[in-house]
Amino acid sequence: MGSGRWSTDVYDAAARFRAATGASAFGHSDGGATTVHPLLDPRDVARESRDSGEHPRSLAIAVLFDVTGSMLQVPRALQAKLPQLLGLLLRHGYAEHPQIMFGAIGDATCDRAPLQVGQFESDNRMDDDLGRILLEGGGGGQKTESYELALYFMARHTFLDCHEKRGKRGYLFIIGDEMAYPRVKRAEVRRVIGDGVEADIPLAEIVGEVRRKWDAYYILPEGASYARDRQVLRFWRNLLGQNVIELADLDAVCETIALTIGLGEAAIDLDEGLADLRDVGSLASATVSKALATIGSGRGTLVVAAPPPDLGRPGGNFRL
Amino acid sequence: MNHVIVVDLGYGDAGKGTVVDWLCSRQEGRPVRMVVRFNGGAQAAHNVVTRDGRHHAFAQFGAGTFASGVRTHLSRFVLVDPLAVAAEAAHLASLGVAGALDLLTVDRDALLATPYHQAANRARELARGVGRHGSCGMGIGETASYALAHPQDAPRAGDCAAPRLLARKLATLRDRLTGELGPLVAPPPAHICDAYRAFASRVRLVDGSYLARLLRAGPVVFEGAQGVLLDEWRGFHPYTTWSTTTFANAEQLLAEAGQQAIRLGVTRCHMTRHGPGPFVTEDPGLDLPEPHNGRNQWQGSFRTGHLDAVALRYAIEVADGVDAIALTHLDTAARHSELRICRSYQAAGRSLTRLPAGPPRDLDYQKRLTRMLLATRPVYSDPGGDWAHVIEQETGAPAVLRSHGPTAADKTASQPFGSSRAAA
Repeated sequence: MGSGRWSTDVYDAAARFRAATGASAFGHSDGGATTVHPLLDPRDVARESRDSGEHPRSLAIAVLFDVTGSMLQVPRALQAKLPQLLGLLLRHGYAEHPQIMFGAIGDATCDRAPLQVGQFESDNRMDDDLGRILLEGGGGGQKTESYELALYFMARHTFLDCHEKRGKRGYLFIIGDEMAYPRVKRAEVRRVIGDGVEADIPLAEIVGEVRRKWDAYYILPEGASYARDRQVLRFWRNLLGQNVIELADLDAVCETIALTIGLGEAAIDLDEGLADLRDVGSLASATVSKALATIGSGRGTLVVAAPPPDLGRPGGNFRL
Repeated sequence: MNHVIVVDLGYGDAGKGTVVDWLCSRQEGRPVRMVVRFNGGAQAAHNVVTRDGRHHAFAQFGAGTFASGVRTHLSRFVLVDPLAVAAEAAHLASLGVAGALDLLTVDRDALLATPYHQAANRARELARGVGRHGSCGMGIGETASYALAHPQDAPRAGDCAAPRLLARKLATLRDRLTGELGPLVAPPPAHICDAYRAFASRVRLVDGSYLARLLRAGPVVFEGAQGVLLDEWRGFHPYTTWSTTTFANAEQLLAEAGQQAIRLGVTRCHMTRHGPGPFVTEDPGLDLPEPHNGRNQWQGSFRTGHLDAVALRYAIEVADGVDAIALTHLDTAARHSELRICRSYQAAGRSLTRLPAGPPRDLDYQKRLTRMLLATRPVYSDPGGDWAHVIEQETGAPAVLRSHGPTAADKTASQPFGSSRAAA
């Protein structure tokens, strides 16, 4: 005892936490990398969310965000906030055995990193994937990115025990500010993911496939180029109905995602969830309340319905 | 192996670090997954030397960190210093332990020991002059007392992830302490906030249910800091620490998870103390090797003396008993035949073999004990060479782990940690 030998300096400490591999830095980008980290390469891989002895009832959660230039500083802010998601879910009991995967979306027509996918993890190892994400900052100027390619991967290359064993869909959050291309292109699927498909796949069809195993949400954050853009919002509402969230304060992104899951799991109603946020001193409750107004819509506890029979139809009746 | 709680039965420095390291690196039984800290803070310096000669004094990380994959959890009873965590992780990395931060979890309710607490602590100790209490200068007492006075405003680990709340708490803390003590040498709140936010984005913050889950998953070692004789309520007031140094906090965490543990008390074959306060068997004439403890600016010198069986029995009594003893520094004892044992005191003309435990939380009683001890003389006898046997006789507990040197290879064990019964 009695050393004081770890004499400490506040500036050293901040730099050391940021320099350490993992959560706090987009280390891969900052290291000068220009290609997808091998561990995040979507080519010829699948991502599995599986039960284990320690986590017998896993719940798959995927958060993919747009890293193209239109998002400005948003991806870096997300990187700093997202490591809190697991703790929030566990702390409030919104989900008992969450398994989280992070990923990033670019533009397959012109970027070197059109899609990056991490692993599902039950502890904070997925935060390491965050640090491996390449922030390309590319994309074209046409308000469109390759969300459809990411949706293809999530539909056909993810395998979820929660869905396969228990008929329970995972939660997919896509954070971005642009629209998807109208079709999943055969050539891009082959080049980026490695699958041979016979023809291009219409966007509505791949969204339908995704929603068979994923309860999918689109989050449009403030601070991105097309924040509050009516055209973008209408585009996603046509595909996902009420599951489109406008987020006024990026600081509240984890709270918004966590609360959405809590509501979906019927672990809480909106008022309880907001009370939880206030109890822990979170300043995010007003933002979250606003962001989730359409989802909670003053109904109290939400009913989680079975996936709709016709998932291809926009605005399906999958959630009250 | 079951869960084990490791507690120092003296004034600290008995060898908790080396005992925890041994428990975490042993090959028999189910491997230990995690070390849990349950008192004190970054003032700890639990020395571990690896078989290949690397040395580290563990402060916030558990002393099992050299063993592959062993996690550290700082429970809500620990005072967390994120700046010390960063510095310690950097030192561990320099010793080849990469990714120590990945193996660390911190309870959100744990109090933060901030640069303001430390600056206030030092300002107060300097003002006390020769009447110093032996504080480590790490802000431990300052942190604990501020939290008692202002529980809602005390910065906690979880606040690091809530920047605005954290900034407000830090500013309030600084204003209160400077209002009381004058300007303090410490960085502005915004700069501390920045470092703490980096801490929160790098280190996993968890709630109480995390520990309960880990306890059900496999063996855990609870690593106590300081020593029972420094306990805030049972130590010799006012020469104590602001921390419960008995098994109590660990037992509370275990009870919350419905779990139990072996209570392992650690003692040397002689006694040491950092800083001022009663030390009946102190003998400045002893010249014992002490590679990792020296003079500290805030605590004063490192003091050495003979084994005090009266104090040892008192420590066991106020700690509500031990299941077993880990006996360290047997190599030193073997080389120093001048070491004695004190089985009774001469106090005010009377012979005293037992130091009676007072009522709980009675600091007046503890103060009277201190006064008496400062006027007490030891009565020495010859231990006869077999220290393990002597300790077992004096304490009534089996000496199940015996340490003859600094590394894990220098330990011998008997049930429940070894395959054979104690030879004694």
